[in-house]
Amino acid sequence: MEKWERTEKSGFKANAFQYCAGNSPIHRLGAGWKIILAVAFSAAAIAAREPWMLAGLLAINLAYYLSARLGLMNLWRDVRFFLIQMAIILVLYLIKYGIAEGLWPGLRTGCQILLLFLPGTVLLRTTEGTRMMRSLKKIMPERLSFLLFTSLRFVPFFARETREIVMAQQLRGAPVGIRYAWNPIHWKDQFQCLMIPLMVRALKTAKSAALSAEARGFEDRL
Amino acid sequence: MTTKRFTLQEALFLAFCACFIVITRAAFRLHLNIPGHAMFFTMFFLILARGCVPRLGAATLAGLLAGLLCTLLGMGKGGPLIILKFLVPALIVDLAGLFYNGLAGSFVACAIVGALGAASRFLTIIVVEWTIGMEWDLILQHALISSACGVIFGVLGSLMAPPIVRKLTAHGLIASRSH
Repeated sequence: MEKWERTEKSGFKANAFQYCAGNSPIHRLGAGWKIILAVAFSAAAIAAREPWMLAGLLAINLAYYLSARLGLMNLWRDVRFFLIQMAIILVLYLIKYGIAEGLWPGLRTGCQILLLFLPGTVLLRTTEGTRMMRSLKKIMPERLSFLLFTSLRFVPFFARETREIVMAQQLRGAPVGIRYAWNPIHWKDQFQCLMIPLMVRALKTAKSAALSAEARGFEDRL
Repeated sequence: MTTKRFTLQEALFLAFCACFIVITRAAFRLHLNIPGHAMFFTMFFLILARGCVPRLGAATLAGLLAGLLCTLLGMGKGGPLIILKFLVPALIVDLAGLFYNGLAGSFVACAIVGALGAASRFLTIIVVEWTIGMEWDLILQHALISSACGVIFGVLGSLMAPPIVRKLTAHGLIASRSH
């Protein structure tokens, strides 16, 4: 929670669906249990048809979310996309059936979609990547988990590489950077300047990482 | 293509393609708020993965890893269902590659696959809303509204792949047999 507050103070907005450090009972719950709960709540959202069922399920989901001490601001960040979807669905129902007949089915469907995804959001918000990986490792083939951990390990490396390539190309006067990304005229040049060095780097890194892994006894074929 | 299995180098390169999908997604979500823009890089890297590693399942592996990475890093709407958003377009790229080996080098083929792959977001929406019990015409209308921008970006992104693949081939960095 302290870490979360620090990021808020530093002016960076935490993204929706991203892990929030905390010490709530939901945070302490095992990843496996949270997956089971998410599946159960989502299945209940599909089955719920009556207003009282949806209201009850919404209350349970909100209690589940808020018991993770994620706060209302995070709840807003997580649900706002679904609220847009709810609005689109509601409008489609109203156009087809009119206000009297379309209002309830539109609201019900929108609500069901929100309730289908909300438990998964709690899982992502309260489960650290490493814990989720440990759970995934138990069910995932060894080779796939090796690739997953390697790619995760290389995310910061390639993010740094990309920044360095962008900087180098900008020094050469190439139209590379976010401000040029808005203009489709620059897209082709941006791609040539950025992607070719990046791909060359990726191919070379893959070669050296593969050699390194083989030297440690990994099979040369996956 | 002596064996169906990936070499360690190829598999690691595909894992790096998944990294790039995640990095570009993370970089652009802070700056652009245009719906569907993530499809631009998703389709570009999936086609590039297939172009650089011309084996069946190359794009699927990159897509699966990108989906898992996004789930682990908490990126994207829809929670764990995000895996489908990468896996289905990747399957389409691989399927297209099965029928047309020179996919990654052809603009027309890339545009078609880009459109189909990006439109596969339809599928996720259709599955979810059909499960809930929505009516077909409303599902299709909603899918069309939600995926239209994604299709445009998907086509644009996939059109960026052939020049890169051609240049990498010309410099001997990837095998030329498939393009």
